[in-house]
Amino acid sequence: MGGEPILDIEHLCKAFGGLRATNDVSYSMQPGEFSAIIGPNGAGKSTLFNLLTGYHRADSGAVRYKGTLITNWPPHRICRLGIARAFQVSNIYPGLTTYENVRQSILAQKGDFLRLFTPATGLAREETLELLETTGLSEHADQEAGKLSQGDKKRLELALALGSRPDLLFLDEPTAGMSGEETQATMNLVSRLNREMGLTILFTEHDMSVVFGYARRLTVLHQGTVIAEGSPEEVRTNETAQKIYLGEEV
Amino acid sequence: MEESYGRWRVARWIAPLLAGALLLPFLVGEFWVHVAVEILILGLFAVSFNMIFGYMGQLSFGHAAYFGVGAYATGLLMVKASLPLPLCLIASMAVAGLWAVVLGYFCVRLTGIYFAILTLAFGQLTYYIIFQWYSFTGGDDGLQGIIPPGFLMGATAYYYFTLMVVALAMAVMWLITRSPFGYTMRAVRENPERTKFIGIHVQRAMLANFVIAAMFAGLAGGLWGPFNRSIAPDLCNWHQSGTPVFMSVIGGPGNFFGPLLGSVIYTFLMAFVTGFTEYWPLLIGTIIIIVVLFMPGGVLGLAMARLRSSRSRLGTREAGGP
Amino acid sequence: MDPTLIFAQFMSGLSRGMMLFLIASGLSLIFGVMNILNFAHATLWLAGAYFCYTFWSLMQDTGFGMWLSIPLAALCLAGIGWIIEVVLLRRIYDRDLPEQLLLTYGLILVLNDLIKLTWGVEDKLIARPPLVAGPIFLFGMPFDSYFVFVILVGFAVAVGLWWFLKKTRYGHIVRAAVFSREMVSALGIPIPRIYTGVFVLGIFIAGLAGAVQAPVGSITLGMDMSVVVQAFCVVVIGGFGSLLGTFVGAFIVGQVYAFSILFWPQGALVLIFIITAFILIVRPWGLFGTPMRA
Repeated sequence: MGGEPILDIEHLCKAFGGLRATNDVSYSMQPGEFSAIIGPNGAGKSTLFNLLTGYHRADSGAVRYKGTLITNWPPHRICRLGIARAFQVSNIYPGLTTYENVRQSILAQKGDFLRLFTPATGLAREETLELLETTGLSEHADQEAGKLSQGDKKRLELALALGSRPDLLFLDEPTAGMSGEETQATMNLVSRLNREMGLTILFTEHDMSVVFGYARRLTVLHQGTVIAEGSPEEVRTNETAQKIYLGEEV
Repeated sequence: MEESYGRWRVARWIAPLLAGALLLPFLVGEFWVHVAVEILILGLFAVSFNMIFGYMGQLSFGHAAYFGVGAYATGLLMVKASLPLPLCLIASMAVAGLWAVVLGYFCVRLTGIYFAILTLAFGQLTYYIIFQWYSFTGGDDGLQGIIPPGFLMGATAYYYFTLMVVALAMAVMWLITRSPFGYTMRAVRENPERTKFIGIHVQRAMLANFVIAAMFAGLAGGLWGPFNRSIAPDLCNWHQSGTPVFMSVIGGPGNFFGPLLGSVIYTFLMAFVTGFTEYWPLLIGTIIIIVVLFMPGGVLGLAMARLRSSRSRLGTREAGGP
Repeated sequence: MDPTLIFAQFMSGLSRGMMLFLIASGLSLIFGVMNILNFAHATLWLAGAYFCYTFWSLMQDTGFGMWLSIPLAALCLAGIGWIIEVVLLRRIYDRDLPEQLLLTYGLILVLNDLIKLTWGVEDKLIARPPLVAGPIFLFGMPFDSYFVFVILVGFAVAVGLWWFLKKTRYGHIVRAAVFSREMVSALGIPIPRIYTGVFVLGIFIAGLAGAVQAPVGSITLGMDMSVVVQAFCVVVIGGFGSLLGTFVGAFIVGQVYAFSILFWPQGALVLIFIITAFILIVRPWGLFGTPMRA
């Protein structure tokens, strides 16, 4: 630890029309971090994730992953490097079964997704079942993913991201719409992956109990700019951050 | 879900179907054997189209371009170079595939209606190129005298040959739909965006599928020439491209065999109806409209839905799972 | 190059362009507002020509038969368009693209045969009204005055549509709907009625175009097939939903057609398709279209 950052963002800027969604953001992450980005609605959290994962093109600035410059790379290339993302609104394959969903992600990661003449049925069976087990989706394996409950869809969303075997994982409001129990299960899982496998995690959340319960480092974003950064305690007592969150539970 | 029924249905239906197909020439007259060849060739064409439509979720309105290119490849090689038919068929697949690489490169950069229109435009482009390249293709006169080799001249003989080639081609395509590649196509159909984010170069995958589908369309075209004894540039135009669309929609695009069933329905209808009226476009058009409005999953889609509801009524556990 | 030849080709291209504009404007409008690609548009155009023939043959003895037949035919087509929208199109607005395309494609087959049933297979000929039968002289060169008439009609329709879209309230609504259906709906304006109106208007123009085109050459079955794809090209090049785009696109296609006759007679359509494909690749929403929707 303490060597080369796994993620290094320098002066990242993105504007939509006249709106500066990302305003000169610089940010650095060490491997194994478990950090969060918070901010009121419209602060630019999702835009930041979109820029980092290739969904949007940046206007200026640089993003480095393990030293490699990945600014404006297409999403699939970024994913192949080891960055995965769970979307805020479940972005799954509704017409495929849960099993097939997860298997697709795993096969993609293994590079087997263009194999023509092997039946897909037997491939990656163990890994798929394991990942289903880990994310608590085993009993829904044969269900059409479009028919899952909201909470299960979020879990599937996470499973799809994990299927890419990332070293760096972005979670966009991972517990939105989940019950207290589901929230705990999800965050415990993520926490375990961080501890045991060294998976670097960056997540955004509106649920402050989750943020303060799990993140070891916080960054506060407001109107596209970083206005506060530090440990949860430091941020909690930061005046600027408090002003931004006036009225919200801190 | 189609998958649950896949293996089960294949085993149950394929055997009697194949048996019937093998016995056909002994059961019906030569006219219907001809019809059967047409069903097979157009069925192959439609199934190849469905690789792009049903499995990948894009509507190509220019698939006939590859059918036509394949037809001309075989036709020209047989007439001008006297190459044996099997070699010509392979050449047809290769030429159609190559043409698909060139055109498909641009098509896969678009989706939805733009994809449809571009494939339509490219189909017409192919038609006009063949049409006005008189010195090479014979243009509007078409190409005549495509005679199959001696032992395939009889209707029955050509039927068995076509059956063999088409069955083999369908088996290959079937395997492809069951493979990881096939699932990647479904993923691209269901959610192309997500597919990018799990590390797949979506356009490259789409192009690969487009080319494979075109190759099989070219194979179908190659079989058509010797069957019909002559070919014309018309094989490429957008009207011809509408045929596999119709077949897939009426048979059911959600099922591998849907387009083949569509071919049976279409060809039978055509053979039957043109016997007593010239207004078969009216009939076909009306059927299309009715199917679109009231039977969105096609015949097989309807059948599967009925099957599923009757099975759940009987309390049978769905044959499913990976 | 002989300037008279160039001018002659230009006029020919302009005339053809106007004809295409008349057909394509309805197509573009319908797609721009309703997101429906009406494959059957040219078939309805053809029906307009046939209707015009029927009315004209009924009023043959009068001197103004043709002048009445054109608007009458257009009105008939508007009625047919209304029926199609209410009975068929309405049901597929919420469906996927393939089903919509397939429905209008099926409509081509049905309409074509209905035309065949009604009017038979022989070509129909309409005599041009005496006013526009003889040549007209521009810059000392004789031109077919009917061609000039077509050009004038094209301009008139273009101006009329422009006025409608820019100056009337209804037109403003239609333009807004091209930009955003949700916005219009949120303003409390019933989208279904807009759809019906737009479709009827589009088909009215198609009928008008067919009727106007009728005396040029003969009316033949199958004319719609050769024209529909060219109309598509116009709309693609110009941009869906844009009146200016359709006008420019039609102009371009008309001119390409006219001038390629000079150096590559058979290649006119190949050229047009290459241009269309190029636009689709480089700028799918056309020269003047809005980059959204599909």
